[in-house]
Amino acid sequence: MNRIKKIFRYDNVGMLFVLPAFLYMLIFVGYPIVRNIILSFQDVDAGNLVRGTKNFIMFANYSELFKDGVFRTSLWNTLRYTVLCLVFQFIIGFILALFFNQRFTLAKPVRGILLVPWMIPVTVTALMFKLLFATDIGVINYILRSLHIISKNIEWLTTPGSAMFALICANVWIGIPFNMILISTGLTTIPKELYESASIDGANKVQTFFHITLPLLKPTIESVLILGFIYTFKVYDLVYVMTSGGPVNSTHMLSTYSYKLSFEMFKYSKGSAVANVLLVILLIVGIFYIKVTTDGEED
Amino acid sequence: MLFSVISVIILCVLLFPLYWAFITSLKTEQEIFHNPPTFYPHVLNSQSYAAQVETGDFNMFRSFANSFLISVGATVIAVLLAVPASYGIAKYRFKARKVMLLSFLVTQMLPVSVLLTPMFIMFKNMHVYNTWIAAVLADATIGIPFSVLILKNYFASIPKDLEEAAYLDGCNKFTAFIRILIPIAKPGVMVCAIFSFLYAWGDLAYGMTFILDQEKRPITAGIFNFMGQYGTKWSYLTAFAVVTIIPVALIFIFMQKYIVSGMTSGAVKG
Repeated sequence: MNRIKKIFRYDNVGMLFVLPAFLYMLIFVGYPIVRNIILSFQDVDAGNLVRGTKNFIMFANYSELFKDGVFRTSLWNTLRYTVLCLVFQFIIGFILALFFNQRFTLAKPVRGILLVPWMIPVTVTALMFKLLFATDIGVINYILRSLHIISKNIEWLTTPGSAMFALICANVWIGIPFNMILISTGLTTIPKELYESASIDGANKVQTFFHITLPLLKPTIESVLILGFIYTFKVYDLVYVMTSGGPVNSTHMLSTYSYKLSFEMFKYSKGSAVANVLLVILLIVGIFYIKVTTDGEED
Repeated sequence: MLFSVISVIILCVLLFPLYWAFITSLKTEQEIFHNPPTFYPHVLNSQSYAAQVETGDFNMFRSFANSFLISVGATVIAVLLAVPASYGIAKYRFKARKVMLLSFLVTQMLPVSVLLTPMFIMFKNMHVYNTWIAAVLADATIGIPFSVLILKNYFASIPKDLEEAAYLDGCNKFTAFIRILIPIAKPGVMVCAIFSFLYAWGDLAYGMTFILDQEKRPITAGIFNFMGQYGTKWSYLTAFAVVTIIPVALIFIFMQKYIVSGMTSGAVKG
């Protein structure tokens, strides 16, 4: 009995170490989440945000959303943007990881420098791509003109379809290093002997890739794709700085539309409802993420 | 040799946007609009940097200082709270452990959109709205969960014997933690500090939403404001961008080994 008591006390000490961080997150993240859910069931605008009575209108904000064309566009945009970004950054990142996995003098230093795009503040990335895709002075239009692919400058950021394309390019640029480095790390965990015995058995490169590399990389690929989905799906800064959802709402994502509703149109409750839709989708994907990252965790 | 050449070509293609922003910041506005574009500045122009030191709403060096203050503040909070928390999670088996660990995992994937309005109301009530404190408090919520999850692996990998040896030498739990465990986990603490700083440095949403006055805003919000008001004054804008990248570049040059560790250990279990 005494021993059990002792163990209990010992473990309580552990909780004291965690408590400050936990309470901080509870106050500044936990409480806001609850508050945001409540907000989405109320009727809050600039007039009654901080003070004043807030009426509960239950699901009115949500049912209004599904009749809202911009919301539907944002939802669809977020989905296709995420999927397209994931496909390209994963494929390019994978190829680069395989490439830098070869033994050559510059492999390590160059791979290191390629991480820089991931570290740069997204606002700056957005600015750089705005410059590249600029209509008159943009270097992309210049290259396309020189190659005689186009005869007239494309207005990338003010034409709906091409604005989305520019956004995806910028996001892929940020995502490549992330995919590359995670897959590189995954590759180093594959025992060399496996490749040696495969080559003794007469397997060619393509066969070893599909029968050894891919199956053994499965856990890495899973976490890369799930994390990539989460990071891309909640994109905010990049779109807000590059297009602000324009032209004519064609590049709005759930996050930017939520921001616009709350902080430009002051429809706080409706903005919260959009944010909650985003949250629910992320949480569903997050369940997979938690499963992948905590698999094999002791107890 | 062939591979090295190819790798340099890949490098040039992928880093071209950075090069382009850098040389644009050194061109005159006239040269920026030159057709065909020039691939290096023919006339060197430092005006875009110099002009902003002196005056104007968009003094980028003041924005830089604001960003620095906010990021350091957020980093200090994140590290101070995450170091003990990750130790507790790694070394003790208490009842709420799983729930707490899970909550750090979940908060790491939250979109800012969910937090902005409630935080906005909260900071107004706390009377910190429109001060750097609001941005610090908000930015720390990005660094804390990341740091806890990274550091718990570092603490978990420290053998129990070391801790027990410290107890024999007369340490109690707290002094053993401070004198023995933290020094061993130092590389992990560095990773956390660097990433907490980078996250806060790159933040736009919090700094823009919780700080109203341009002269108090971080440099990312400064860039965004500038774009809104002056549109496409590219030499100034790219100068802004270059200055924003400086701390990132310094971190990259001097602490590169921590970057790889932080990017990978957060996602793939060790």
